[in-house]
Parts: sequence; structure tokens; C-alpha cells
Amino acid sequence: MSTRRRTLLKVIVLGDSGVGKTSLMNQYVHKKFSQQYKATIGADFVTKELQIDDKLVTLQIWDTAGQERFQSLGVAFYRGADCCVLVYDVNVMKSFDSLDNWHDEFLKQANPPDPKAFPFILLGNKIDIDGGNSRVVSEKKARDWCASRGNIPYFETSAKENIRVDDAFLCIAKAALANEREQDM
Amino acid sequence: MIADGIEDEEKWLSAASAGLQQNAFYMHRALDSNNLKDALKYSAQMLSELRTSRLSPHKYYVLYMRAFDELRKLEIFFYEETKRGCSIIELYELVQHAGNILPRLYLLCTAGSVYIKSKEAPAKDILKDLVEMCRGIQHPLRGLFLRSYLSQVSRDKLPDIGSEYEGDDDTVMDAVDFVLQNFTEMNKLWVRMRYQGPAREKDRREKERSELRDLVGKNLHVLSQIEGVDLDMYRDTVLPRVLEQVVNCKDELAQYYLMDCIIQVFPDEFHLQTLDVLLGAFPQLQPSVDIKTVLSSLMERLSNYAASSGEVLPQFLQVDAFSKLNNAIGKVIEAQADMPVLAVVTLYSSLLTFTLHVHPDRLDYADQVLGSCFNKLSGVGKLDDSQATKQIVALLSAPLDKYNNVMTALKLSNYPRVMECLDIETNKVMAKIIIQNIMKNSTYISNGDKVEALFGLIRGLIKDTDDAVCNEDDEEEFKEDQNAVARLIYMLHHDDPEEMFKIITIVQKHILAGGVKRLPFTVPPLVFTALKLIRALQNGDASKAEEAAAAATRKKIFQLLNQLIEALSNVPAPELALRLYLQCAEAANDSDLEPVACEFFTQAYILYEEEISDSREQVTALQLIIGTLQRMHVFGVENRDTLTHKATGYSAKLLKKPDQCRAVYSCSHLFWADDQDGVRDGERVLLCLKRALKIANAAQQMANATRGSGGSVILFIEILNKYVSSFTFVEYCTVRFSYENQGSIMTRCGSKFRYLYFFEKGNTQITVNTIQDLMELITTEMRSDNAATDPAAEAFFANTLRYIQFQKQKGGAVSEKYEPVKA
Repeated sequence: MSTRRRTLLKVIVLGDSGVGKTSLMNQYVHKKFSQQYKATIGADFVTKELQIDDKLVTLQIWDTAGQERFQSLGVAFYRGADCCVLVYDVNVMKSFDSLDNWHDEFLKQANPPDPKAFPFILLGNKIDIDGGNSRVVSEKKARDWCASRGNIPYFETSAKENIRVDDAFLCIAKAALANEREQDM
Repeated sequence: MIADGIEDEEKWLSAASAGLQQNAFYMHRALDSNNLKDALKYSAQMLSELRTSRLSPHKYYVLYMRAFDELRKLEIFFYEETKRGCSIIELYELVQHAGNILPRLYLLCTAGSVYIKSKEAPAKDILKDLVEMCRGIQHPLRGLFLRSYLSQVSRDKLPDIGSEYEGDDDTVMDAVDFVLQNFTEMNKLWVRMRYQGPAREKDRREKERSELRDLVGKNLHVLSQIEGVDLDMYRDTVLPRVLEQVVNCKDELAQYYLMDCIIQVFPDEFHLQTLDVLLGAFPQLQPSVDIKTVLSSLMERLSNYAASSGEVLPQFLQVDAFSKLNNAIGKVIEAQADMPVLAVVTLYSSLLTFTLHVHPDRLDYADQVLGSCFNKLSGVGKLDDSQATKQIVALLSAPLDKYNNVMTALKLSNYPRVMECLDIETNKVMAKIIIQNIMKNSTYISNGDKVEALFGLIRGLIKDTDDAVCNEDDEEEFKEDQNAVARLIYMLHHDDPEEMFKIITIVQKHILAGGVKRLPFTVPPLVFTALKLIRALQNGDASKAEEAAAAATRKKIFQLLNQLIEALSNVPAPELALRLYLQCAEAANDSDLEPVACEFFTQAYILYEEEISDSREQVTALQLIIGTLQRMHVFGVENRDTLTHKATGYSAKLLKKPDQCRAVYSCSHLFWADDQDGVRDGERVLLCLKRALKIANAAQQMANATRGSGGSVILFIEILNKYVSSFTFVEYCTVRFSYENQGSIMTRCGSKFRYLYFFEKGNTQITVNTIQDLMELITTEMRSDNAATDPAAEAFFANTLRYIQFQKQKGGAVSEKYEPVKA
């Protein structure tokens, strides 16, 4: 495999409807945020080029529909993913409760060679809302969940206020890169 | 092809994937060696696998994704080629040499993506070229995926506002035009699919079409993500053109799905500002389209939006969202003459939820919705659609859940009218929901008119119906229902006695008209409510005038109580009626109304004599009578003598000797009141106790006779113990003993300690000798040869003696009295 060509890393973003998947991506890639809720249909990606150490990588970030009825063709696009980003809304318990399901379903459908080592990252989004007063999922609860799932890295983000969005995606890119290298070996 | 099944499809997919993989391998090699010619050759061969017609959309998507991933590598290669000096214009020409059209167009889109990126030509020209070229594929499945590929690779290259591809010639309008055109073409392909192939495969085709829907809907998502699509652009261009396509395609699946997409992908404020246009499309849709679901989801979204922030509410008022939705629903219902009731009710239910959330202060809106719903329902006669009735329950529950106060719902004039549309069973369900709501929120109903209205609403639970069938299950449910009504009666309350009396009168009217089966459940709570009012009338330092008014009201209440309890005779429920009469007698006693109390007692006695025939029930009833009578102080000598005499007479006439015995010694209390002013007739107390002793002896003899020689000691002690009891001592015993048969022993202890009781209470008729004789009698009997030992009885007797010892040693007056007793 040639090393001079740029590395393409595939990242899948999953989570319940309305947790802010599209917003996180828009903030990261376009530095834009819209308060309006717009459902996502099907799946598609945006790309972002970034440098990790001295390597230029292209991040292919797949945004997905949180509502099942807008995912009529299935999840064939999971295939070949290098990292899976799970997103929940810290103000909505149900979105946290669904994480197990998203996690397990991803592994089942994507079927990576080593499911235990496959990199996941968890983002707890919308920490800005009501100054954190409407929060229902504590950081500890989220971290406990991450620990129980093999020490998944965890970030508390706000797509609206652009809090830790870049950090999170850098971590995502690094995890994806590490995964990709492992696959190559 | 139908018969081929899933297994074959798997085979085809793996074959196609293998072919794709193999060509991808050669393509990689060509990319690694910068061999453009080979790269194009093998990528075209790789893409040829997508020409298959054998795969279902799901499987085709798997294959497509593999090709898609490979094409990303090719795209990077193209890009790097241009950096190395290869002209992108030439490359764009070169890829078109591919022999087959499908691979050619995939390669063209891939090169086109790089072309736009190079900015060597205006983005809009390249996009236009690509979207036109894709017309070359008219096979729906392949065409849809190809266009979906075009949509994906062009996503980040649209000349959107703020995008690097925006320029003087390239405006957001071009971006919108491009996406709209692609959308229109894709929708046409998608709709056309329905008419291709044999009719017998129609169901499978519709299923496959449904799987493909997101490819078409995706375009709307892309439109919604275009920054430059502001409200003006949306209202003037995007929405009209999308709706035009939706309405004109006349396809049920497409119309339903795309309307749903529009509602979900575009922001709420756009919907609010274009409600007329959006809602105007609904009556134009095919009659088979499930409009209720789509419109309901629109109203749900808008409700949530209104709830999200108070700042958005003026927008709703400004555009008069409620009226528009209300009109639109009316028009849709009118346009679809055959619309099922379920759909109608669902629509109104969503509208009601909407208005409750958005305009909680506008009860008139809510009432209007209920009115429209009623008008529609009244035209269809009685409902037999269970889902529709369920939906009506949801509709009627909404105001209760919103306001948490049934009083608010009672203000809605159309509420009872809609409720009348329900069949009797559902009416009951709804009535129970109303009662639950009242209980949950502890809503006191404090006004006669409201009570009248409420009982009208829940009359399914109050009144018998002609078609009422009764089986075992129903019996349980019936009890549950009536218990709910009973609980409700306790929630009726007003501080003003006049108003409260009015409420009680109204409830009485309703429950007396409700049929005899319900009376045992509904009469008692109303009786107790009325008694509570009587007690309330006694309290407070009322002036003379007020006291007179209160007395008048009390009399009216007692009359009402009499009628109420009398109604139970139709059930019949004599035991219950007797209890209630006695309760009323006590209340009359507390109100110092001797004639009234006497009347209630007389009623109770009549019931006892004429209606209660079961011996167990007689025992219980008599206990109640004696107990109540003992607490009465209102009676003058004459009434008291009559009533006591009768009670003693009833006691002696009980069927079983032990019961007689117990009842008679109980009557002894009727001659010895605890308070100093009351009756204290020691002689008659002793008479009662002697009589009880006589009955006990007779009972023992009978027992001896029936159980053979000698009789049993157990029975003997049992009878003896009947003479012994004192309230304090029973407690004392309870602490010390926990025999399994404790209960029966307690009753056996009865009269003996009654002697002690009266002894202690200072009844001079009970002498030391009486006690002493009794104790000796017991001792003798216990030591008699043919008496079997009974540890329980012996222990009891021992304890009795210990008690006497205890009293002797305690000191004081009581102790002195006990002094001569040898124990």
C-alpha cells in the first residue's frame, strides 16, 4: 500500500433523533450552527481534511438519520468504518438509554474484524442548554457507561457554543487512524 | 424471478461483489503506478457490476456502497492527477470513453466532482451537465442510485451562500435548481417503477419502492441544509416546486412519504410562515393517502416548537396557525368523503393537542375543535370502530391531562356532546379516566351545577342500561366501577352547608335513578357524606338564627337519609341498611333529636325482625344494635326501655345457645352507662348476667347430652368463661397469651369478668360472694374426674386469678373491694 497517498478515514455518527448529530458535524466542518431542527434522511457524509502528526488525513464523516423511518435502505454504509461516534443529549435520558442499542447494533451490522478493539467515542451533547440545569444524565453516569464498554473516550460538547467539538473530532480522527493502521498490518 | 428467492440473491450479490473486488484490485494497482488508462479501464469494469437487475434495493445498496468506497480512492487519484498537470477538462472528456453508459456516468460524476473543485468551470455548468447526462439511465433502480451518487459527490460543492463555489455566475439559486432537478428526475423514476413489470408482482414492487424512498427524500434533506435557502427562497421557490412534483405525481406512496419529509426536514418557522401553501396541498392528494398521520405529525412538531420557547408564540398568533389548521382539516375531510372516522378523530385529536399546547388560555379553541369533531361524528351514527373510539378517548383525555382539573373540561360545552358519541362501554372507560383524574389531582367538585354536569358525563357508571349483560368478569368490573363512583362521591365538597346539601340532593337524584344494583355501592358514601354535613352543622358558635337554620337543614338531611336507606330495601340489602340506620341513629343522638333517633332504631328493628333471617347475620346485627344502643344517651326512659327490652328479647331468641348467652350478657351493659348521669340499674345487670349463666348451663347440659358421658371440660370451661370479662383484663390476657384459638377463648372469658367489671364499676348487686361462688364453680368443674385437661382454659383461669391477685395488691379503693375475694 502506498504511503504517499492520503489516508481516508471513515467515521459513522449515530444516536437518537434530535441529539445534534448533524449540528456537531456542521459545527466541526463548516463552523456553522442552526437552532432549527431539521431531520436527516438516509445517510451521507461530509469530508474534512486534517493533519495528524505529520500525516494528512481525510475524514469522511457519515451523518445518519436518527429516525428509523428515514433509514429505509439499511446500513450498508457502516461497512469499512474506522470509528463510530455515539451521540446523546445530556438533557434527554432516553437518548442515553438508547446508546447500548446503537453500540450493539453497529457492531452487529458493521461486523468489524475485532469488535472488542473497534474504536467508539461517546459525545454528550447540548451541555449549554439552560446553563446545564436541565441536564438529566450526569457526567459520572456517562463515564461509567464508557468504562463498562471498554474505556470509550468521552467528551461533553455543545455544537451550539462550539465547546470541545474540535477536540472530540481530533480524538475521533486519531482513533480512526489507529484502527486503520491496525487493519493494514 | 419471484421464485428465485433470497438464497439466489445472496449468491448474485457475492458474485457481483467478487467481480467488483477483483477489478478494484487491478484498479488499486493502476492507481499505485499512476496508470490512468488502466485505472479507467478497471474502474469501468468494476462499475459494470452495478448494471445488474437481479438485486433487491437492499442488496444493491450493499454493492453500491462497495463501489462507492472504491470511487473515493479514484476521486483522490483524479485530484492528484490534476495536481500533476493532467487537465481536468481532458479527464472529464476521457472518462466518457467508457463503453457502457452506467460506468461512464459514475466516472463522469466522479470526475465532475474534481472538475468543480478545480474551479476551472462554473460549478453550475458542470452540475447542470451532470444532472442532464444522468437522464441516460432510465432504469429506475440503477437511475436512482446513480443520481443518489451524483447528489452525494456534489453535496459539498454546491454554490451555496458562503461556499467557496459561490461566485458572480454561481448563486445559491443554481444550487437549488440543481437539487430540485435531480429530485424531480428521481421522483419520476421512483413513481414510474410502480408501473413496470407484471401486475402480479405489484406488492413486491411496492415494497422495493418503499425501500428506495430515502434516496428520493434525501434531496429534500440536501435542500434544507443549503444555507442560502432562507424563508423567502423556501416560500417562493423550494416549497412550490416540491409540492408541484408531489401533487402531480399522483402516487400514494410518494405523496405520503414526501409530505412527511417536507414536514420533518424543514424548520418549524418555515412551516408556520407557509402554512397556507403547505396545507393547501393536502386536499389535492390522492384519497388513499394517509393524511391524518402526516398532518398529525405536522401539528405535533408545531406543538413542540411552541413549547420550546415562549418567544416563538407570537409567530403562531401572527399567522393564526390554529384557524389555518382548523380550516385545512375541515377541507381535507370535505375533500375525502370516505375518510374513515378514525382518521377524522385522529386529526381533531392532534389539533386539540396543538391548541392546548399553543393556546392554553383559549378554551374556546378547544371547544371549537370538539364541536367540529362532534358535528362529524353525529353524522355517522353509533361508532363500532374500536380504534376510533380509542382515539376519542385520547381526544377527551387531552384537556384533562393538560389542565389537571376536571372543572376546566366541564367548561367545554362540546365535551359532553362528544362523549355522547361513545358506546356505553367506552363511555364507562372515559368516565373512569375522569374519576381517576379527579382522584389524582384531588379536585374537589364544589358546585351543584358542576356536580350535575359531572354526573351527566359519567352516567355510564351511574345508570343501568337496557342492554347490560352480566357475567362473572363483568361482575368484578362492575364492582370496581362502582367503587370508583363511591370514591368520587367523597370528592364532592362545599364549605357552605346549603350548597353542600344541594350537591347531596343532586347526587341522591342520580343514584336513586341508577338502578338497584348500584345502590349498595353508592348509598353508603352518600350517607356518610350527609352525616359529615350534619356534624359540620353542629360545629361552630352559631348565632340563634343560624342555629335555627342549621336545625332545619339537619332535619331535611335526616329525611333524605331515610329515603336513601329505604331505597336499599329494593335491592334488597337489609344488613347494610341496618348498619346505616344505626349510623344515622347515632348522628341523631349527637344532634339531640330523640324522635329521629327513635325512628331510625325502629327502622333497624323492623329490618332485624322481617328481613334478617340468617342466624350468623342475626348475631352480627344484634351486636351492632346492642353496641349502638349502649352509646345512645338521647332516649328518655320510655324509649330506652322499649328498645332495650326488645334487644334483650332478640338476644334470648337467637338460634344457638352460646350466641344467646353472649348476646344476653352484652345486654347487661345497656343497664349500666359509663357516664354518671346515665342509667345504672344494678339489679337488671345482675338479672342479665344470671340469665346468661342459666343459658350457659343449659348449653353445657345440651353439650353433655350430645357428646356422651360427662361432657367435655373444654365446653364446660368455655361456658364458665362466658361469665368473665373485663375490658382491661382482656388486654392483659392478650399480652400474656397468644394461643391460636385466642379469639374463641376471649369470647368464652366473657361473662365472668363482666362480673368483675361491674364489681369494679361499683355495682352493689355484684357481691364478693357472687364472684367467689363463680370461681368455686369453675374450680370444681375443672377438677371433676371426667374432665379432660385443657391447657388454654386452665391458663386462662390461672390468669383470671392472677388478675384478681394483682388487683388486691395494687392498693387503693379497688384493692379494698377485692380484699375479701379468696384467690
